[in-house]
Amino acid sequence: MVRWQRGLWLFFVPSFGLLAVVLLWPLGYAIYLSFFDYYLGSNVRSFIGLGNYVDLLTEQRLWRSMWTTIVIAFGSVGLEFVVGFALALALYRLNSSARVFSVLLFLPHIVTPVVAALFLKWMLAANWGFVDATLLTFGITPPDWLGDPFWAKISVILADAWIFTPLIMMVLYAGLQGLDESLIEAAQIDGASNWRILRHVIIPALIPAIIFTISVRLMDVFRFFDIIYVLTGGGPGTATETITIYTYQLGFRMLQVGKASALGVITLVIVAALLLTINRLLNSIYRGGDR
Amino acid sequence: MITAMNRRMVLRGVAPALAFAATIAGTAAAQDAIRVISHRQPALEYYTQQMVEALPEGRVTTELMPIDKELELASITMSSESDAIDVLYLNDASFQRFAANGWLEPLDDLWEKYREEYDLDDFPQSVIDSVTYDGHIYSMPILTNTELFFYRKDLLEEAGIEPPETMEEYKAAAAELDSARTAGTIMSLKPVDAALNEAHWYMNSIGDGWFDEEWRPIFNNAAGVEAITKLKEMTEHAPRGFTSHANDESTINLQQGLAAMGLQWFTRAAAMDDPEQSRVVDQIDWVAPPGGGARIANDGFAISRFSSGDKEEMFRMMAEAASRESMREGAQYAMPPRLSILEDPALAEQYRWYPAARAALEGGKAFPAMPDFLDVGEIVTRHILRAVTGEAEVQAALDQAAAETEELLASRGYYDE
Repeated sequence: MVRWQRGLWLFFVPSFGLLAVVLLWPLGYAIYLSFFDYYLGSNVRSFIGLGNYVDLLTEQRLWRSMWTTIVIAFGSVGLEFVVGFALALALYRLNSSARVFSVLLFLPHIVTPVVAALFLKWMLAANWGFVDATLLTFGITPPDWLGDPFWAKISVILADAWIFTPLIMMVLYAGLQGLDESLIEAAQIDGASNWRILRHVIIPALIPAIIFTISVRLMDVFRFFDIIYVLTGGGPGTATETITIYTYQLGFRMLQVGKASALGVITLVIVAALLLTINRLLNSIYRGGDR
Repeated sequence: MITAMNRRMVLRGVAPALAFAATIAGTAAAQDAIRVISHRQPALEYYTQQMVEALPEGRVTTELMPIDKELELASITMSSESDAIDVLYLNDASFQRFAANGWLEPLDDLWEKYREEYDLDDFPQSVIDSVTYDGHIYSMPILTNTELFFYRKDLLEEAGIEPPETMEEYKAAAAELDSARTAGTIMSLKPVDAALNEAHWYMNSIGDGWFDEEWRPIFNNAAGVEAITKLKEMTEHAPRGFTSHANDESTINLQQGLAAMGLQWFTRAAAMDDPEQSRVVDQIDWVAPPGGGARIANDGFAISRFSSGDKEEMFRMMAEAASRESMREGAQYAMPPRLSILEDPALAEQYRWYPAARAALEGGKAFPAMPDFLDVGEIVTRHILRAVTGEAEVQAALDQAAAETEELLASRGYYDE
């Protein structure tokens, strides 16, 4: 190592210090608290070792909320990807003047999610909401969007898709800008159909962008909270209670800080494992190439 | 030129500094103000305004929000021993929890000091008891609230139906009046507070109540299952979206003629006759809830133990809002807990829902007197909603709720073993 390079590690200190304060310290403290029976109302902490973990892992509610999280996460990311990809392809084929629509399509993503969710809540309100009122005018009785367990899940997925599809659209559209046009032209000369061009030229070229968007959105959607909190509060019953909503209920409604911390740690481990698996899967597809 | 540049540079430096200083000064002034947080409903809008007017302009800031949000905000703030909240509204259930947690300022000394000036002996002993925990007064009583049975007298008369006195009659009337345009009955099943109120009524009128004498859950016995089964059946006549309806939504449904009857708070009665909000002025009438057992509550304002402000000033502000003159005017929104006003015969003539309210008070029932009932409510309403929406059978849902409740209460030291 050159002498002048020896002190460079000092430049690392501020960012590591910041990371330690805002990330590692709270994480360490949450892990510490997870070993205690700690009800915020009593201010008395008693050490119970792995008691909170055993309680949580043996209760049905945790697994139910985990399943709800998975359904909502894959439902919304799947829908966002399909619609976002279709829109990106459409934009790619449109001329430049029509691309002004991309700005309009991006609008839902600019709005703060809580505000967007509040807006949607009033749109979906039974009877006097915009959607219901419109359908009722035409004599169509709509489903109970936020009050029926099935439709509440669908509404949450649609709400997330409405807000985040533009992000996927823009990332994939940016990826399409780097596409080598000559490959498409060569395929067209060889008589390839549009579907074959999409399958064998466009999608393989976009794999890095696809891996990026799906990974980022999955990580994001497993922390899904604000939209559900505003739209359904996790209900009706437990129909839209995701793992983050459950953690919130434990921590801020029941004030069971120890148990909520343990749930946070469990969520971290499960979600990290799940995402690593998905990332590996996508990477292996990428490395496998277009065979 | 150098001088001009220096001047500009100095100005550039001083201007943000001045702006920053002004912001800090503004923040300091804002911190000085007494911050009151409260549930939002007509009576509390009136009483918080009385507090604002009790002190010089700018001394009091109020924030009104749905009760779940208010309790959440207060719990988070007080559990961290922050002085961000000075005065807060508490209903009977939340009051017990906050007092038990040591988050409220005991008011005994101030109560004694201002007993005569504000005629505090005018509050009945039962009301004083409801704001007392472990021998200390913690809250200024502000309203006695009870749930009434609201009904459209025009629709019932048209159908030849008498106002229901039993749950069976209620169900039959709701089924009869249920139509595409008008739901048979409002139902407020948004967790936690609204759904708990609705379930409380069924659990007392059909079931055997929530707990036995040793705080063991009994709401999952045969009578409890029958109660929640009846509640579930009744939802067939409720407006769509009832699982996310709280008092605001149900009030709107009644005011807009979208529902024919149902359980709602006394504090919402005046809004039925407000021509600016209601399409059914003079068409709503009230009786005591069929079968009895609907919720009654004594609510008040308390001072945070962690407030760094002048607590005597806060007490006087609350006492002004709870004065006889203030409550005489506030009687249109809520039943005042002062004897001198309750005994005034002119009230019943002026406000036509008072006779029903007195009857409802006789048959009504408060929440179980335990500090943790709201936490129990979180468990119970979650499972009742699962039963109502078909996620689980009624018996299974209530058994699960009872098991979780028992576990919670055991962890909070309710049982000896």
